Amino acid sequence: MAQHDKIYLNPTPIRIWHWLNALGIVTLTLTGIQIRWPEFLNIFGAYKAAVSLHNTAGIVVSISYLLWMAYYIFVAGTLLKIYVPTAEDLKHGLLRQAIFYFFFYFFGKPNPHTPTPDNKFNPLQKVTYLMIMFLLLPLVIISGFLIMNIGPLREVIIAVGGLKLLDGFHYLIACCFTAFLFIHVYLATLGHTPFAHTKSMWTGWEEEDKP
Amino acid sequence: MHYSRVLVPIFAVLLIMVSAGFISAEVAPRERCLHCHGNRSVISSGKGYLYIDPHKFTATTHSRIGCSSCHDSVTSRHPADALRPSRASCKECHLPVVREYLGGIHAEKAACPDCHNPHTVRPAEVVSGADMNVQCARCHDNAGIIKKHGHWLPQAQLHITALPCITCHTGSQQYVINLYIQSRHGDKPRDGYAPATHDELAALVRPGVPVSRVIDADGDGVVSLEELRTFHRNAATRGMRLWGMMMPEKITHTYRILKNRWDCTFCHASGSKALQTSYLAIPDQDGRSIRIPVEKGAVLDLLYGTPDFYMMGTSRSSTLSIIGLAIVACGAMVPLFHGTLRFLTRKKRKDTPHGAA
Ligand code: HEC
Ligand code: HEC
Ligand code: HEC
Ligand code: HEC
Ligand code: HEC
Ligand code: HEM
Repeated sequence: MAQHDKIYLNPTPIRIWHWLNALGIVTLTLTGIQIRWPEFLNIFGAYKAAVSLHNTAGIVVSISYLLWMAYYIFVAGTLLKIYVPTAEDLKHGLLRQAIFYFFFYFFGKPNPHTPTPDNKFNPLQKVTYLMIMFLLLPLVIISGFLIMNIGPLREVIIAVGGLKLLDGFHYLIACCFTAFLFIHVYLATLGHTPFAHTKSMWTGWEEEDKP
Repeated sequence: MHYSRVLVPIFAVLLIMVSAGFISAEVAPRERCLHCHGNRSVISSGKGYLYIDPHKFTATTHSRIGCSSCHDSVTSRHPADALRPSRASCKECHLPVVREYLGGIHAEKAACPDCHNPHTVRPAEVVSGADMNVQCARCHDNAGIIKKHGHWLPQAQLHITALPCITCHTGSQQYVINLYIQSRHGDKPRDGYAPATHDELAALVRPGVPVSRVIDADGDGVVSLEELRTFHRNAATRGMRLWGMMMPEKITHTYRILKNRWDCTFCHASGSKALQTSYLAIPDQDGRSIRIPVEKGAVLDLLYGTPDFYMMGTSRSSTLSIIGLAIVACGAMVPLFHGTLRFLTRKKRKDTPHGAA
């Protein structure tokens, strides 16, 4: 049987951010579905309720995003180190990690990446999280902010191609988030027990398996 | 358009006039009346209320019945006789509308001439949405209305500028989207847009060519998606844009606070089949807005339809919906696919640990 070592992987601000963010994104997804297809889905009663909840959740996600950013930049100072893949990651790590997930994993081979507080993501995670946190999330926040203030920000909206394009863009990014969510939640069950990773996102401590 | 609303009254008036023998008596030609009342000097004389704009009057349906049908007591000695000519009451001709109006909540608040100047009336289909709201704004200060509606209506300002008040406050029906050309007034972005005037548009086409050619380039009387696209491409550089308003086709005067307008899905859920019908409305010299049909489904079109007009839930593009759902489906496939293999190979991992999500 393997022996268990514990490392402190997820500091408190990150855990608060993460679950606030998860709650926010799930709320945004559900309300978003009702806003786009009100005649097929009515979860929150009145349409107006869905719209205000969507707006509120959007603000919560935006603020918690700032919290996340502030923590990694000002407190931990590890933002780039953790999230930006190295040249080595891109050259070999990415492929190695993908082959592991889709091939060696099934044969019981060990994970090529072992998380440490300063290098907690494998190359695949780095690339994905980088896209999510540095590209998609800011874009969805900015487009959402514009759509919330159509009147006053009309000029900006026209400059980026008009309300319709903006809305379509917002919708497509939201779909990317939903797609990510499926994969993300699933991969989170690939720890040594199905809830190991989730537990560490809750308590901060990851149980390391040493063979 | 409901010609009966206009024609029936005209026939009624003619009938009354003939039967009363007015036609043969002193019918003063309107030129005579307008000689004084259509002269701008009456405005400068401090009696501006006596001025009747000849241009606007001639464009009205009322001009067909002439001044003295409504001011029938005007004498040949007017104005020297110092008698105040009679003024027809609307119900003499518009009894059904009057009855309808008196049954609503607004009956005591305003009379017909408070909203309609009898000398500038126009059939509803040539009145732009913005002009309709100007009628209400005479008494209902716009900023105040936006503030009050903002208590319950999200994006109140946007709603009020994209809907004539009567869409929510009367039983008027059959909604379509009218597209108006707006132009920027002033150089600064903050100056905002206002409906483009006939003259502004006329400056964009060759002299003598109908202004509708600004968009309807081939002049076939239908605006195609291709023509919309061409207009968009040039619109920004001309400081112009298209503004959509949701207009009722069938106007009624049943003024009410409609309970179902609280429910956003009254407008925001009709699905992609709704609002297929749209028109482009072009102002003519007399301030009327003349509608040209737009290719079906234009407001639903992401790229060629009006890019600055979007009704959440209603004018969504179904192509985009499908692309988005495909993205989500790809994401959902991963757990499905990986999970199945994981289940089938579970024995191989009996006691080897794994990490990372
Ligand atoms: C010679 C100039 C002149 C002509 C022609 C003329 N009007 Fe007048 N009209 C006046 C003036 C001046 C007054 C204002 C009289 C006053 O204030 O006592 C007036 C007043 C009126 C008013 C009353 C406005 C009010 O205070 O309610 C009506 C209605 C009217 N005219 C209709 C007509 C019609 C209809 C004709 C054509 C048959 C006509 N007028 C032709 C000069 C004219
Ligand atoms: C459809 C009926 C109708 C016709 C046609 C008509 N008027 Fe009038 N006119 C009225 C009514 C009703 C009023 C009273 C408006 C009010 O109470 O605000 C009025 C008012 C006036 C006034 C007083 C100014 C004002 O606005 O109160 C003048 C002057 C006048 N009309 C002149 C004319 C002249 C000149 C013509 C023809 C060019 C004409 N009218 C045609 C119905 C008519
Ligand atoms: C509170 C404002 C208001 C009042 C009061 C009012 N109307 Fe209207 N009416 C409108 C509006 C808005 C329209 C749409 C077209 C337009 O703006 O001219 C309209 C349109 C009309 C039309 C044209 C309908 C069509 O389908 O072309 C007629 C005729 C009419 N009104 C008659 C009357 C009569 C008669 C009265 C008096 C009982 C009256 N209105 C009172 C606001 C009003
Ligand atoms: C001549 C002035 C006048 C005009 C023009 C006018 N209104 Fe009003 N309206 C009033 C007054 C006065 C009230 C009562 C005070 C209030 O609620 O602001 C009122 C009240 C209302 C109400 C609320 C009624 C209630 O019982 O709560 C509605 C809705 C309304 N108006 C709609 C309109 C629309 C739509 C138009 C334009 C087509 C219009 N009004 C044009 C004077 C006017
Ligand atoms: C989206 C639909 C909608 C539009 C557009 C709209 N209204 Fe209303 N309006 C309502 C509803 C619903 C109420 C009842 C709200 C309430 O009682 O608080 C209302 C209430 C009112 C009232 C009386 C309530 C008060 O607090 O005084 C007035 C007056 C009024 N509207 C005028 C207007 C005018 C004028 C316009 C156009 C500039 C307009 N409305 C446009 C839906 C609308
Ligand atoms: C209910 C839904 C969710 C669950 C169960 C979940 C679970 C987890 C778990 C277990 C981890 C730790 C493992 C790891 O570091 O990869 C994690 C990390 C992470 N999750 Fe989620 N997650 C959810 C929603 C989301 C959402 C909606 C987003 C973004 C839009 C997100 C973004 C992230 C990121 C960026 C990390 C790395 C955090 C860091 O340590 O800096 N998660 N999640």
